[in-house]
Amino acid sequence: MSASREWLEKWREYFLAWYDEGGVEDKANEAAEFSAEYLDEGVVSVSGGKDSMVMLHIIVNKCRRDINVFHWDHGPALMPRPVESEILRNIFRVASGARRIIVKRFAKGFTERARAEWRDWYAAFFSTLRSLNYKYHLLGVRAEESSRRSARGRVVARRHWVEVHPVYYFTWRDVWAYVFKHNVPVPSVYFKYARLLGWDRVRLVTFFDREFEKYGSPQVDSVLMWRYKHTSP
Amino acid sequence: MTPLRVIFHLSTPIALGYPWISFDSLLAHVKLKEELGERYYSLPSKTPVREISEIKLESGEIPLKKWRDLYVASVSLFEPSNVETYVFNYFKRGDFPFPRGRIRRGSGFFKDFYLKVVYVPARRVVFYATGEVEEVRRLVSRVHALGKERNIGFGFVKRVEVEEVEEEWGLVKDGVAMRPIPVEYLSYYEDAAYMAYKPPYWSSKNIKLCAVPFTRVVLK
Repeated sequence: MSASREWLEKWREYFLAWYDEGGVEDKANEAAEFSAEYLDEGVVSVSGGKDSMVMLHIIVNKCRRDINVFHWDHGPALMPRPVESEILRNIFRVASGARRIIVKRFAKGFTERARAEWRDWYAAFFSTLRSLNYKYHLLGVRAEESSRRSARGRVVARRHWVEVHPVYYFTWRDVWAYVFKHNVPVPSVYFKYARLLGWDRVRLVTFFDREFEKYGSPQVDSVLMWRYKHTSP
Repeated sequence: MTPLRVIFHLSTPIALGYPWISFDSLLAHVKLKEELGERYYSLPSKTPVREISEIKLESGEIPLKKWRDLYVASVSLFEPSNVETYVFNYFKRGDFPFPRGRIRRGSGFFKDFYLKVVYVPARRVVFYATGEVEEVRRLVSRVHALGKERNIGFGFVKRVEVEEVEEEWGLVKDGVAMRPIPVEYLSYYEDAAYMAYKPPYWSSKNIKLCAVPFTRVVLK
């Protein structure tokens, strides 16, 4: 068995043990129960990362299948195409019975300028969210992720919609335990990063994004995802 | 011009900003630093990038052989070859006296950076190149550390050896590319990606579809 396979198997075992020990099934049931009332007038926003995929899986398998799903494609400069294709495959696989799956792409995400100019990104993203015209946006935000998110609360009223966070009380262990227990499809790039950064720190965000320079992320991307550092000139 | 093997013996792990370090860029860096002196560290940040890329070396070219517009110089080979990569997390704070009273450390001028850097605990870094032995020897003797984050102790060089070798391995060795080579210069390539292929490697002008280092190629 190769070293990386052995490493993954060891962690799989750990997370499966945590599933029972950490009461993850109960947490998932609670998240499903909590989400149910928001689904009629809401949309499940899925980035394709582990948190949103776990949320989607819980809703589809424990609430109902005919839901609305929204995914935002950041474009090739911020999200390499193989990763984006895998994300789309995963979403369509988990939400196969969805009423509607909406995929919108950031029009300016084709050039490397998108990595530094966030204003356009924010403007495009939030105007898209507004144009969807849903009352509730269900997001895979977790309290543990940051103090700001922890202070935000589970239901947050925004100007044009209400943000709902079903997996708010999940810890990183709970999320990975759920992923391994239910074989939730997540992008394979996670395992590459988890091996280096640790399971608690690995996150799927945009790649080569100057916004995350303060965390050293573009530097790590340049080593692990070097192939996608430069888009075609 | 002589085919060379340059071996850097390291005393600390080497931090990376890309999977490889290019030997031609290392020599260009040393030459430019020699030429500009202290000015090397005070290039105006508002200078358009294209102007910096056009700085000419007054003391002549990099002492390496050229093949088309490429230098015959490999990227880094780390030894032992099976060494794994690790990550180092650290706080980077402004190295200046903080003013009295309240300051914002979450944003603005005094912002803290919580960074991470990938490093390889390699013992040696090997390059192959074809160039002027004495000049290459002189330039590499001025390299005290390799890679990124040298200011916090990564990549310290213990000693460096420059040896003459029988064959030219700066471009291709045993049918394998030793550096990014534009695919237009190749009759066969196994794998390709958009990469910078000549110094300055940060310039977007120097990005082309290139054969990936350590994959099979045949030169045209």
